[in-house]
Amino acid sequence: MNAKRYGMSIDIDRCNGCGACMVACAVENNIPPAHAGIDERKGLTWIRVYKVDNGEDYPGRRSAFVPMLCQHCGEHTPCAGVCPQQAVDIDPRTGIVGQMPERCLGCRYCMAACPYHARYFNWFDPAWPAGMEQTLNPDVAPRMRGVVEKCNFCHGRWHAAKERAAAAGTDEIRPGDYVPACVEACPTGALRFGDLNDPASDVSQDAKRPESFRLLEKIGTDPKIYYRSRKDWVHEIANAPRPGAARKEADHA
Amino acid sequence: MTITRRDLIQFVGGSALGTLFTPAPWRLITDTALWSENWPGIPRPARGEIRAKFTNCSLCNAGCAVRARCVGDRPVSLAGVGGGLCPFGLTAHHLPFHPARPKQSDGKDAIAAVTAAIAGRRPSEHVVVLDSRPGRTASWTYRRAMAALPGGLYVSPPEPPVAIDLRSARTVLSLSAPLLDGWGTPAKVFAARDGFRLIQAEAVESRTAALADVWLPIRPGTEEALAMSIAGELSAAEAARITGLAEHLVASLPQELQKNGPALVIDAGMSPGVVELNRRLGAWGRTVFPRPEAPVPESWRKAAPPTELAAVSDGSVRVLWIDESAPGQYFPWEAIERKLAANALVAVFTSWMGGYARRAPFVLPTAVYPERLDDVPMAIDSAAATFRIAAPLVSPPPGVINPEEFIAALAGVAASDALRQRAAAIHKRGRGTLLTYADGKSVPVRDVKSEDFWKALNAGGRWEDDVAQALEPAARRPFPAPSPQAAKIDDYPLTIITESRLAGLASPSLSQIYQESNVRLAANRVALHPADASSCGVVDGAHAVLESQRGKREVTVTVDASVRPGVVLVAGLAEIGAASAKVVRL
Repeated sequence: MNAKRYGMSIDIDRCNGCGACMVACAVENNIPPAHAGIDERKGLTWIRVYKVDNGEDYPGRRSAFVPMLCQHCGEHTPCAGVCPQQAVDIDPRTGIVGQMPERCLGCRYCMAACPYHARYFNWFDPAWPAGMEQTLNPDVAPRMRGVVEKCNFCHGRWHAAKERAAAAGTDEIRPGDYVPACVEACPTGALRFGDLNDPASDVSQDAKRPESFRLLEKIGTDPKIYYRSRKDWVHEIANAPRPGAARKEADHA
Repeated sequence: MTITRRDLIQFVGGSALGTLFTPAPWRLITDTALWSENWPGIPRPARGEIRAKFTNCSLCNAGCAVRARCVGDRPVSLAGVGGGLCPFGLTAHHLPFHPARPKQSDGKDAIAAVTAAIAGRRPSEHVVVLDSRPGRTASWTYRRAMAALPGGLYVSPPEPPVAIDLRSARTVLSLSAPLLDGWGTPAKVFAARDGFRLIQAEAVESRTAALADVWLPIRPGTEEALAMSIAGELSAAEAARITGLAEHLVASLPQELQKNGPALVIDAGMSPGVVELNRRLGAWGRTVFPRPEAPVPESWRKAAPPTELAAVSDGSVRVLWIDESAPGQYFPWEAIERKLAANALVAVFTSWMGGYARRAPFVLPTAVYPERLDDVPMAIDSAAATFRIAAPLVSPPPGVINPEEFIAALAGVAASDALRQRAAAIHKRGRGTLLTYADGKSVPVRDVKSEDFWKALNAGGRWEDDVAQALEPAARRPFPAPSPQAAKIDDYPLTIITESRLAGLASPSLSQIYQESNVRLAANRVALHPADASSCGVVDGAHAVLESQRGKREVTVTVDASVRPGVVLVAGLAEIGAASAKVVRL
């Protein structure tokens, strides 16, 4: 079996920020509804849509929506290097950066190390309104309080696709047989998923487009999420060393 | 050999030290972690046979095709067929367990009270059904029941008089319609999106405005003036003065729409002015069509006609049934209350305690999608008639009431088989195709037996008419008079703009978008421009009171420079329904 390198391409110019990806992710991965006191800082959002803007005032303001998830770094994966429990696992068959909650001590070193802020800490025991636990996905175990969790490209779906492939007498998962929940749910078609090692795949083609870019590419983590936009100001934001830096530099100039 | 106290201490100490070099403590940590993952506080997902069921979502008129992944008979996830679902549709399988569902039924008391009220009704008084979601087969049942009852009236919000075809349009001018944010059928809209240039005229930079090719930031409530200018009823200079746009921009719009046709102009409800504008732009029959409807049995045609709420005399309603079991358009309670007689009886069929249920003495709980067998009204972007059934994925709880059967029984009208009768009428006509989602096949209806047609519809099928409707002549008509604008009140300096949001029950999992990320405006939030926030003395995240002539509510403030100065952006404010407001710091 050839090693895969699963990745995603996100068309920022098509994303309308509807949040379907976030909700589909929560349903697929048994992420519980938020407790009353949870805010943006304590929320559990394996994929989170951020609204960014060009920094102008109305009516010059232009906004865009950027879905942010674990970038599944291929090189020097920062979270893997700092985990004292070896709870971060990089699957050589798929390139997926996984998280094993049963090993996690909740030290949150990985959260501090992640340059993309794509890891979330479980502040509460998972709880659903009475009866709603009947709707949980049987392929994913709910996590306990005190562990870190993050996107794993719906690893349960990968296992299911492997089983289907095995039942069909092959090792290879056909393109389209394995798609994360967020990609499946996206009503605008902004999210696409596939094998970056396959030059014919949509994501490989998208990654080669001139308007394509990766977040914090210069730190050398080889992320597997490719964004694209035809808007220059979106590229400026993506290249800024920290939020708001592009605007401040422009002000100084 | 004697064992001293020192030996004992050395042994215990050495053992403790030695244990650290064995796997035991690390194994203990792992076991503790595994145990804590499975302790009784952590829910365990049910296991069973995985199967797929198909249905149509009935949360809004889009009626998206749905594939439900079920464990045994219980859906554990929903996905769109041939396109994604909105966040509400993706989590609809949570709704049967929603804590806000009414628990007790007033059914028996309601029957007795309603029967007595109808018997004691004066000749000038009415018995009214207020249907918040017209266009369903249930709506026909209400109309038939009201025709059978003396003084019966069927009241509903006005339905758009037309349907549109985005695939045929090359230029779309949207007058504050949330085209890319749930206005039509998401799968259809985004499939057609690359084929047209979108010009969005809107006061705030909405999601549609952010993705439009051109955004025209007009003053709030001036969409009509822009439409009149394009129609030639208002000069470009005057329209520019009203809308706040540059005159050359306003003047260039008619040419752009004519040059890059077929053009299409839309607003949120396809108002008469916009329909006339489309007619003048030559869109009639190309991108705009008369609203089609699926056939109904001939015997239903004697039904009561739809009446607008404003046309009902004040103080004349003796009995009012409100059906808000399916999410739809809301009337402000003040407008309804004005129509009620002094001794009026109000009963609400509902699946949640948040809407009119707070106002009515009788609350009759109903099943909720996906428990309820219902059909989906026509979508705005469907030029051909369709018939789609939201087949139940789970059984409803005991004690829920079927609203149309309840009212039909009181009126002596047979309604238990209405959906099937309508399907039979469609089949008898022999037109159109049947699409089944399970196998993705499309079959002409004339090739399907009546019984199989009904079965297919209940298994998540969809009927679509294949014959274009006869079109009215595209003659120029008088442009409708502009609707009166609500007068601005000095005490309330901020103009209210409402962000569209589906009414009714919503899954607790939507906390992902309304609470944990705030990517969408929650019902308890408002957005203000930084200058307005500063003048109101509030900062981002501050708690404040939103006050209008209709009432007050506590809100959290979001400061957002994409909101027009002088505007307060709110969500889910149907019950206030005011035009202007002020924000006061708490």
